Amino acid sequence: MNDESNRQALQEDLAQLPATDPQRRAAIVPMMQSLQAERGYLDDKSIKEVAQVTGLSTTEVEELATFYSLIYRYPAGRHVLRVCDSLCCGLRGADRLLQAAEKYSGVSLGKVSPDGAFSVLPSICLGLCDQAPAALLDGEAVGSLDEAALQALLQRLQQED
Amino acid sequence: MGTMHIDGHEIPFQENDNILKAALAANIEIPYFCYHAALGSLGACRLCAVEIAPEDPNKKPRVVMSCLEPAKDGINVSVSAAAARQVRQTVIEFLMVNHPHDCPVCDEGGECRLQDMTVACGPPYRRYRGRKRTFTNQYLGPLVHHEMNRCITCYRCTRFYQDYALGDDLGAMRLRNEVYFGRFQEGPLTSPFAGNVIEVCPTGVFTDAVFRQHFARVWDLETAPSICPHCSVGCNTLPGARDGTLRRVCNRFHPEINRWFICDRGRYGHQYSEHPDRPLTAQVSGVKVSYREALAAAAEQIKAARDRTGGLGSTREDLESNAILQTLLNKLSGRFATFSDPQLETATTAAVAALQSSGGAPSLSEIEQADAALVVGDLTTHAPMMDLALRQAYRTGAKLAILHSGPSLLTRFAATTLTVAPHEIGAHLLHLNEQAATASTTSNKHENEKKLADIATYLTTAQRPILIGVSETMAAPEITALAQLANALGSRARLAYALPGANAYGTALLTPTNSTTAMLEAIESGQIQTLIVMGNDPLGDTRLGARWREARQCLSTFIVSDCVATATAEAADILLPVAAWTERGGTFVNYEGRAQGFAPVFQRAEPLPNTAEVLADLAHCLELALPDAAAVLSNIFPGYQAPLPGTLGSSLSAFPLTMQTETPIGSAPLGHPGHWQVTLASWYGDDVLASYAPALVELAPPAAALIHPTAALKERIEDKEQVRLRGPAGTVVLSVQLNNDVAADTIALARVTLAQLGVGHGDLLELERIS
Repeated sequence: MNDESNRQALQEDLAQLPATDPQRRAAIVPMMQSLQAERGYLDDKSIKEVAQVTGLSTTEVEELATFYSLIYRYPAGRHVLRVCDSLCCGLRGADRLLQAAEKYSGVSLGKVSPDGAFSVLPSICLGLCDQAPAALLDGEAVGSLDEAALQALLQRLQQED
Repeated sequence: MGTMHIDGHEIPFQENDNILKAALAANIEIPYFCYHAALGSLGACRLCAVEIAPEDPNKKPRVVMSCLEPAKDGINVSVSAAAARQVRQTVIEFLMVNHPHDCPVCDEGGECRLQDMTVACGPPYRRYRGRKRTFTNQYLGPLVHHEMNRCITCYRCTRFYQDYALGDDLGAMRLRNEVYFGRFQEGPLTSPFAGNVIEVCPTGVFTDAVFRQHFARVWDLETAPSICPHCSVGCNTLPGARDGTLRRVCNRFHPEINRWFICDRGRYGHQYSEHPDRPLTAQVSGVKVSYREALAAAAEQIKAARDRTGGLGSTREDLESNAILQTLLNKLSGRFATFSDPQLETATTAAVAALQSSGGAPSLSEIEQADAALVVGDLTTHAPMMDLALRQAYRTGAKLAILHSGPSLLTRFAATTLTVAPHEIGAHLLHLNEQAATASTTSNKHENEKKLADIATYLTTAQRPILIGVSETMAAPEITALAQLANALGSRARLAYALPGANAYGTALLTPTNSTTAMLEAIESGQIQTLIVMGNDPLGDTRLGARWREARQCLSTFIVSDCVATATAEAADILLPVAAWTERGGTFVNYEGRAQGFAPVFQRAEPLPNTAEVLADLAHCLELALPDAAAVLSNIFPGYQAPLPGTLGSSLSAFPLTMQTETPIGSAPLGHPGHWQVTLASWYGDDVLASYAPALVELAPPAAALIHPTAALKERIEDKEQVRLRGPAGTVVLSVQLNNDVAADTIALARVTLAQLGVGHGDLLELERIS
């Protein structure tokens, strides 16, 4: 699903559905995912494209695109650290973790580092309450974090890059 | 259907009621934000918590959301229980965490539900000392002001805008505590009903941008029950004024007409009364004089002219003024008419006659119940609230069919849209009559035939079909054909017409047969020397403006009374400015034939008389004894009693009108090479009075010649190309805009352009390319 040919195939499939077919709307999430995989995030043009193909209004597409936290409306780094700040992690120090992530990475929340490598985002509950405070680093769950563990994690990432 | 107990009171409830709805119906206050009678329950705000006593005494009572909990027979509900109060207090405290507490500078102050609920249920202290979440506001156009920080996420705005009014440019974005109600990109809201978000929003997120320009605190506003003067639906409104100026107009609940909402034309059209060009001083030959002097000058001319006096009433003047003008003319043995265009006169009287014999038009709440509807013409722009009612029918699965010639917002929701040139509307209606009569045999090959068969099927199989015609863009035979179709469908079918003007129904009842033609001919032949025009604009008429302007030259005296600076008012010899609708009382008869009274809301610093008063003063100067309005009207309408403002209105018992013409629908004239049929491309703010409302007019679409892409291709006309249009009154150069909603061989033009060209809906026009 994540490569260019799949997206084209998807668009072609969608284009063949009659305009009134309710199924068209259902394709919106996979379509947004595949566009994001290609472009890194969805800009206004992408939103309009999705609206055109799925037959939804741009408002409806924007509602969905901004609702799903894994769909980006702004550029994100190649590596994304999503620190959970919901209830359990919040109680276990998510605030401090977010501040530490900004400090060690040198990137403020929601921004991209100048080399395009890194972004830190707060996240809605990841379902890792047993490991609070937890985060997702490039989709991998990391739990029971503290500042030291986070710093080590970020250093390893920088070395690998 | 059953009875429950709320804090010891026995409360009856209907089937499918929830606790909140039943309680509100019994006048029991349960605090709430997100529930709305028209939008239903959502459970988003969590404020309407109540406690329900357990059936099993060993169990504990539980706190539930009263808007989501069905009312059940015998249950014991407590609003005052400590647990429920605690929940409500906590909810308010949470909602206020991010609220900016900016009540002193907020436009909503004084009518803010959040303010009321916080005082009623919230904690009397603030504990939160942290940073508040803030948003960037959007520019939403000249009508609605956006202030997102105040939001409490009740979702009422999008539920109204998207779910109820079927708009698609206001949505709920993002998630968690960052939910944002706005547009995809900044820009004016496009729905004709956008202004209602101001009233449905329980706090100050959406406020009236026009009111804001000249703001007053709501508790300082003078108000009185009024009726919207901007179309024939007759929505009930509550205008607010202060210091002798009108500031805003709000909805006023009427259970059968507008209920909770009004359209943007009704909400913002009121700015005409504060327009800088509005005539406020009487004039004689362009010189400002006192009212008495102008009146004396008018009386002198009328005395000289005697029976060579004519009077032109209006569909936007109230019932009293029209009736008194008619009486005055009777006394003078002069001539009385009410329309500026004979075609409009015959069409409107035919529509009223058809409504009288069909047993009356359905109310808006009845239109909402329809399961199939046929609309002839562009309903949204002639009666926006009828469109909103049809949208409710559409939401519950009604099949909508539209027979039209030019752009129409309703086509988006239509199951079948039949776009034909103005001259072919009649033939299609006759065809539909045949189809409905003979349960169609589908050997049809032509696409339009198939569509007609579909429409006939919707209408014949429906339980509650409704036929609605836009009388301004229909000729009398077409009006009659639609009425015959309603007749053929039997008693379950209802018939309605969107009429031209707030009092078009009432005015039609007073209109003598073929009076407009007679009046014009009398003026042209010199039989009429002095003409009194009252709230009408014959010189600005789209089709006959040029003829009226010439006729005006035959008059020795042209007396005009109006509250807006129309072309007619500007050409007057004697101008008598009158009070605007919010400054006077009177009666309008809406499209159903429902007479509704409206009360004066305020007085200007220098009060103006209303039209009926001007006429009475004029009669006094002429030494004629005129009876008062009540006597005149009870003479015309047996048993007439003036409907009191603020009541539901009463139906008018009038003698049935007879159709003025029996001309059958002929076949459409053959196309002339180089000639196009004209159709009116209107928009929802298009109305004589509202066209003087600056904020609303900002949203008017730019003038263009709308042509169907196929027709353009045939004539090799390109999009955005400049073309010259030639009509009997003049020539206009416009750029072409391709539009799929325009019929073949038809060109859709704005009302202003029609007036410049001197053509009306259905007339022919020459189009010339500029190479």
